[in-house]
Amino acid sequence: MKSLVTIREGSAAHWAIRIVTAVLLVAILLWVPTKGSASLITTSIEAMTLMSAAMALNLVLGYTGQISIGHSAFLGIGAYTTGIMVSRWGFSPWVTFPVAFGVAFFVGVLVSFPAARIKGVYLALVTLALGLVFPQMLTWKRFSWLTGGGSGLPLSCPATSATRTCAGVAKTTTGFDIGPAQKGQLQTFKIFGHDFFGDLRRLDNKSAFWYWIALSVVVVIYLACRGVVKSRVGRSLIAIRDNETAAAVMGVNLVRTKAFVFGLSAGLCALPGCVVAIKTGGVSPEGILSLTVLGAITFLIAMVIGGAGSLWGPILGSTLYVFVTDKTGSWADDDKIPGLIRPLFGWSKISPADGIFALLLIILMFVAPRGIAGLWKQYSPLVVRVLPRPAGTGGTPEPLATVSATETTNEGEPQ
Amino acid sequence: MSMLKIEGLTAGYGPVSVLHGLDLEVGEGELVVMLGANGAGKTTTMRAISGLIGRQGTIEMEGVNITKWSPDHIVRAGIAQVPQGRGTFPELSVEDNLLAGAYVRHKGEGVRDDMERWFDVFPRLAERRAQKAGSLSGGEQQMLAIARALMSRPKLLLCDEPSLGLAPLITQELFDVLGRLNTEEGLSVLLVEQNANLAMHIASRVYLLETGRIVASGTSAELSADDSIRKAYLGF
Ligand SMILES: Nc1ncnc2c1ncn2[C@@H]1O[C@H](COP(=O)(O)OP(=O)(O)OP(=O)(O)O)[C@@H](O)[C@H]1O
Ligand SMILES: [Mg+2]
Repeated sequence: MKSLVTIREGSAAHWAIRIVTAVLLVAILLWVPTKGSASLITTSIEAMTLMSAAMALNLVLGYTGQISIGHSAFLGIGAYTTGIMVSRWGFSPWVTFPVAFGVAFFVGVLVSFPAARIKGVYLALVTLALGLVFPQMLTWKRFSWLTGGGSGLPLSCPATSATRTCAGVAKTTTGFDIGPAQKGQLQTFKIFGHDFFGDLRRLDNKSAFWYWIALSVVVVIYLACRGVVKSRVGRSLIAIRDNETAAAVMGVNLVRTKAFVFGLSAGLCALPGCVVAIKTGGVSPEGILSLTVLGAITFLIAMVIGGAGSLWGPILGSTLYVFVTDKTGSWADDDKIPGLIRPLFGWSKISPADGIFALLLIILMFVAPRGIAGLWKQYSPLVVRVLPRPAGTGGTPEPLATVSATETTNEGEPQ
Repeated sequence: MSMLKIEGLTAGYGPVSVLHGLDLEVGEGELVVMLGANGAGKTTTMRAISGLIGRQGTIEMEGVNITKWSPDHIVRAGIAQVPQGRGTFPELSVEDNLLAGAYVRHKGEGVRDDMERWFDVFPRLAERRAQKAGSLSGGEQQMLAIARALMSRPKLLLCDEPSLGLAPLITQELFDVLGRLNTEEGLSVLLVEQNANLAMHIASRVYLLETGRIVASGTSAELSADDSIRKAYLGF
C-alpha cells in the first residue's frame, strides 16, 4: 500500500499533525457552547452522555470481550445516586459523582462474579436481566421511601415553592438549581474569580453549563480508559478477550481482573447518569430512556458503529449516532424527507428515522466491520503513514541460538 | 530435590476423569519428554500442572506443595506453559504479546532486555515486532508463543507440542533452542511431542502416557531399546 506522506513517530511533522488535530478539536469544543445554537448544544450534551456510557461499556465488551446488555442499570445507578443524594439529603451535586462511581463500582464487582463463570450468550442473558430488572426495581413500593417509586424524584423545586420541602420530601437545594434566588443555590459559577457563565438562571447559560459538565465527564472517562488500556492491565484485558487459557498461564488472575474491569466500567458508566439526572432536573424510571434496556442497546450500537476495542471508537460512534438520529428524527412528515431518498420511505410503515438508521447500520457493518475507528486505521495510511519509533535500544546480550528465517508452514504436523 | 514431582494425579473435566493416578518427575535441569497417543491426556496433564482444571493428588515444585494453588500463583512460582495450538493473542502486537508474557514480573527488571534477547533468537519475530500476532504465519506464532512463555523467566517450561504446524527444518531448530536453553541455562523442561524421534534426542528422560496413566519411563536409550515400545511410539 502506497501512502502520500510517510513520517516517523515522534518527529516534528508527527507532532505538528498532533497539535493541529488537538487545536481543531479544542476549537470545536469551545465553539459549540459559545457560538452554537441551543439545539446544537443540547444535541452535543446528548452525544457526550452516550459516548461516556459507550466508552465505559467498551472496557468490558470491546477490550475484555464480555458482553453486557445491562449497562443501562449502571447509568441508572448513577442517576439515582445523584437524585437521592440531592433530593433526599440535600448534598451538592458535585459530591454525588464520586459516590455514584463508588456505588456502581461495587455493584459491578458483584455482577462480575457470575460473569467470570459464564460466557457468550449466557452472559448476555444475565446482563439483559439486570438491565430489565433495574427500572422495575425503582418502582417497587418497598423501595419508594428511597427512590420515590414510579414518579421518581425531583432535583429542583418548582419556581413557586419557596419552602425547603418539595414533592413531600425533605429539603431540596441543588447546587445547580436555577430557580428564583434562594440561599445556597448556585446562580453563578466562578472559577478563580472568573465568571464564565454569568447568570446561571438564564436558560442559554444553563445548557452551556451542562455542556461543560458533560464534557468533563467525557474527558475523565477517556483518560481513565486510556490509562487502563495502555497499561499492563490493559494488555491483560485484551489477552483475556483473545485467548483466556493463554492469559491464565501468563499469570493473569482471571476472576480478579474481570472483577476490576467490570467494576471500573460500571463505575464510569454511572457518571453520565449523574449528568443526565442533573440536566433532566430529576429522576424517574420512565423519564430517562438511557436507564432502560433500550439505553443499553444504544450504548452497544454506538460502540460497535464507532469501533469496539478502540479508544476513539465509542466517541466517533456516539457522535454519528446522535447527530444522525437527531437529523432524521425531524423528518417526521414525508415531505420533510429530502427528495432524493423520499421514495424509499414514503410508502413504508417504518419511520424514516428508524429506517435510515437501520440502513446505515447495515451498510456500516459491510464497509466497516470494525467500526469507524477500524476504517480509519485501514485507510488513513493511504494519506499519512506513521512509522513506529526505531526498535528498542536496550542492551543486547549474547544470542543463544538463532532460528533462521526460513519457510514455515501453517498446516500439517511433521511426523 | 526435584523441580516438579507429581504423585497420584487425577484430573479431568467435570465428572469425566481423564488422568487416573499419574506419577511423573522432572529433575532440576532435566528435559523430560512425554509421549502418548492422541487423547492420552498429555494436554490434560499440562493443564493440571498449571492449575487450569480441577485436580487431586500431589504436585510439588521444589518441595513445595502447589496442588491447590491458583494459576497465577503457579506462574509466579516459576512454571510457564506454551499451550497447545496457537496460543498467541492475535490482536496484540508481537511486542505486546511478549510483554504480556512478562505479566507477573515487575517493570524495569530487564523485561526489555529479555525481549531483545528473544528477538535475537527468533529474528523472524524481530522483523515483525510491531505487527499484530494474528497476522503472523502459524510457525511464527508458535515461536512467539515459546518466546512469550520464556518472558516470565520460568524455572520450568511446559511445552505442549511446540512443533505443531512447523516445517521440519524449523522444528529442528526450535528443538535446538530448547535443548540449549536446557543445557546452557539449566531450564527444566517438560515437553509433549508427537515428533518422538526429534524429541528423544534432546530428552534426559521419557515418559509414555496411555489413557491417563504412565505405562513406561526411562532414558531415551532405554525406551528405544524396548522393541514393543519402539514399534508403538517411535515407529521404527
Ligand atoms: N475441555 C475438555 N472438556 C472435556 N473433555 C476434554 C476436554 N479436553 C480434553 N478432553 C478429553 O480428555 C481426553 C484427553 O485429552 P487431551 O487433550 O489431554 O489429550 P492429548 O493427549 O493432549 O491428545 P493430543 O495428542 O491429541 O493433543 C480426551 O479424551 C478428550 O476428549
Ligand atoms: Mg494435546
